[in-house]
Amino acid sequence: MLKRLLLIRGAELIALAILGTIPLTVSNSYALGLLTLLAIYGILLIGLDVTVGYLGQVNLAQAAFLGIGAYTTGLCINLLGWGMPLSLLAAMGITLVIGALLAFPALRLEGPQFALATLSFTALSTTVLNEWESLTQGAQGLSISRPPLFGINLGASGFYWLCLVLMILVWLAMKNLLSSQWGRAFEALRDSPIATDAMGVGTYRHKVAGFAFGSSLGGLAGGLYVLNFQYLQPQVFTYDLMVILLLGVVLGGRKSLWGAFFGASLIVLLPNLLSNRLLFNVISAIGLLVAVAAGVYGLKKKTMKLFQAMAPVVSMGILVAGGLMVENTEDWRKAIFALMLFSVVVGLPEGIMGFASRYLTQLFRIDPPALPAASALDDVLPMQPADGKALLQLRNLKRHFGGVKAVDDVSFTVSSGHIHGLIGPNGSGKSTAVNVISGLYAPTSGEILLHDKALPYGSLFRVARHGVSRTFQNLQLFGELSALDNVMLALKGVYRHPLPMVLLGFARKEEKRAQADALALLDLVGLRDQARTKAKDLTYGSQRFLEIARALACKPQLLILDEPAAGLSHPDAGNLVNIIKRVHQRGITMILIEHHMDVVSELCDTVTVLDGGKIIAEGTAEVVKRDPLVIKAYLGAAEVTAA
Amino acid sequence: MVVSGALMGLVYALIAYGFQLTFATSKSINFGQGELVMLSAFFSLSLLDWGMPYWLMIPGGLLFGVALGLVVERTCVRLALEQKSEGWILMTIIFGLLGFSSAENIWGRDDRPFPTSLPTDALQVFGVNITPLEISVAIGVFTVMGLIELFKRKTLLGKAFEAVSADRDAAELMGVSATRTIMLSYGLSGLVAAMAGILISPITTVGPTMASALILKAFSVAVVAGLDSGFGVVLVGIVLGALESLTSFYLGSGWREAPGLVLLILALAIRPNGVFGKATIRKV
Repeated sequence: MLKRLLLIRGAELIALAILGTIPLTVSNSYALGLLTLLAIYGILLIGLDVTVGYLGQVNLAQAAFLGIGAYTTGLCINLLGWGMPLSLLAAMGITLVIGALLAFPALRLEGPQFALATLSFTALSTTVLNEWESLTQGAQGLSISRPPLFGINLGASGFYWLCLVLMILVWLAMKNLLSSQWGRAFEALRDSPIATDAMGVGTYRHKVAGFAFGSSLGGLAGGLYVLNFQYLQPQVFTYDLMVILLLGVVLGGRKSLWGAFFGASLIVLLPNLLSNRLLFNVISAIGLLVAVAAGVYGLKKKTMKLFQAMAPVVSMGILVAGGLMVENTEDWRKAIFALMLFSVVVGLPEGIMGFASRYLTQLFRIDPPALPAASALDDVLPMQPADGKALLQLRNLKRHFGGVKAVDDVSFTVSSGHIHGLIGPNGSGKSTAVNVISGLYAPTSGEILLHDKALPYGSLFRVARHGVSRTFQNLQLFGELSALDNVMLALKGVYRHPLPMVLLGFARKEEKRAQADALALLDLVGLRDQARTKAKDLTYGSQRFLEIARALACKPQLLILDEPAAGLSHPDAGNLVNIIKRVHQRGITMILIEHHMDVVSELCDTVTVLDGGKIIAEGTAEVVKRDPLVIKAYLGAAEVTAA
Repeated sequence: MVVSGALMGLVYALIAYGFQLTFATSKSINFGQGELVMLSAFFSLSLLDWGMPYWLMIPGGLLFGVALGLVVERTCVRLALEQKSEGWILMTIIFGLLGFSSAENIWGRDDRPFPTSLPTDALQVFGVNITPLEISVAIGVFTVMGLIELFKRKTLLGKAFEAVSADRDAAELMGVSATRTIMLSYGLSGLVAAMAGILISPITTVGPTMASALILKAFSVAVVAGLDSGFGVVLVGIVLGALESLTSFYLGSGWREAPGLVLLILALAIRPNGVFGKATIRKV
């Protein structure tokens, strides 16, 4: 614990102390300007990293938000005569709103389409800033003079300290955000958006909020930018700047505050680095040596493919050769940046700080903080009354895909407290039926009632919020998260603090509570000892059990288990039966899709048999097993049974 | 005026068609495509400067485009696809940056005219003023797109292309190499980019920034129509081109870029898969 505090906090404090004292020792105004810029870009890149790193989307709109924030602040000062704090807040507010407005349509898209949408937004905002001359003075540019802060006229070093303080606040807020439910949701929705929705967390709203938050940091950086330079031109905030920002984040290391800071220093220092010929030659030579060493090492250890090892060497080689041949390196600024980036992206995909932090954690072996004691299961999963009344009713449910009638006019009732089996041969429509109930697909027609009220159609998220939770036939765990985090993500009713309170760090207590609750659920499925193991590193059987624990964290009234025994070893299948019995004791109603008839016979109170999208039999497992129609559906030999 | 705008729209459609080619096989597109257009145009100009006859310059420029397309695929796309990541977005952006910077330094930052052997006097066709240059653009666009579609439908290699587009895994199981098909698609996409560069240069002049506005609009066309929409791009391209001429006439030339961008964001909000695109079903 002490080691952890010392190393992580220590590194931050040392960096802070150095940055804070520089203006006292160095009176060079040029260096001070660079440091101010570093703090501003630091804020900007931390904001950009929310989308690029945590949401995993290539975001090309951050330059536009920088510009919008800058113009907002500039105009608030010029036209409205507002002070510094108010105009900076205005910049953040406006970029927050615009960010959310852009995110609504854009974040329905993935990958390239999202990148394109943000790229267009950048281009559009440049056009507007350029052409709306009555407001922005267009290409002429906008001059402002920096207003005093609370009556004090900030000099260059005073303004630098202001930027530094703001960067520290942003840093702390981000740390709070990332160590809360929000940070977990960001990780989870990259691994499996479907499961995130199915756990009632809401992929879309987290994406939109994350994007808007990142954009507002861009706006803040923009406000500081205009206060720093006291002059603005629309041409600054174009595609070129955007590419450089994006590359700063990637080069520094995604999903890392230090990475964003490091990327910002690179962006600030690069122009100076290029103007000194000797320095450039030395650095490119070092880069080549590193690339060669890393390539040889990677090939020897067989952790790299030939291309991955060779490409950085070739690209750094071009850089060194070019450095010796070209007359003026500054003209080639972009090409140099491109070559350096190419090497890093191919050879070190996690960025420089990502690599460094992995190496450092190996070196120092920092233990994760200790876990609290598990909550009592009765608090986490209160007993539900099993009164045998109708809990879920399907009425004439149909789901067609084109001409395929996957579910065709199915009606059945699941009684409260029962385990309801749903069986049938492959392609009989079991999974489709469950997908319709849980909201992945909207029904073509028919009704789904929970407690006599209609369930929402076609939204995993809203169905989950109504108390229907599920596991998946093909596992949909959040592989990069620990078993504990998988369950904590899905926990319902624990996280009550709104986003601003989370940012201010008020959510730590509920975080402890969530850990304790999640441990109780892990205990229920026998995974408590593996709470810190990443889900993707668990054994296959444990992964299946973890899915059940995670689904239980939603505190469901109805739990749908989609082939939980598929592929399980014999002992694990026995464990599964025990787990399901324990869940049953809590009074939770279940729908069980299963092929193993012994499991079905042992557990289910009622069994519904589907074939070709229609119900062919219903009753207890014993009755259904002897039904000639069921035997025919499974074995296809009616004559033999008749004889 | 509207007609010449629409003809410009055909060039957007041609570049957007290049995006579709690679998107079909690999679900990836080249964000440095604009630089491919620009580099091929510069290269063709250099071929003319070195005394190559006009009719030989065109295949030369196209070959250069194909080569660039293959380089992009090898250096920027293949590794990311193998890792099933979206790293190619960044990598192709980096490639574009390198291409832009190289062009600036090799050919200079100034715009240069691109000679043409066609007469520049406007003709009257059905009461509309059209220059032969603009007609050549239309002919060029339709020829290239038509030939590639014919190739895809009539040759074995083209069938392999369609097979990989439809279902990559199934095609691989049938003995079609997906890697080679993706190479082919990037080669063709480079060819299309080079063609666009050669067609548009006589109208716009050649310079390092010639493609940056062009490419944004091609992106809009591709996304608005849908990245799997086939000839939908032609229609959307024409509409967008016409819309642009109208906006720059009524609102001023600075707003010229706006309709494409607004159209794009609107289309994304209303139909994320594009006007002519197909919706995909989520599976678990």
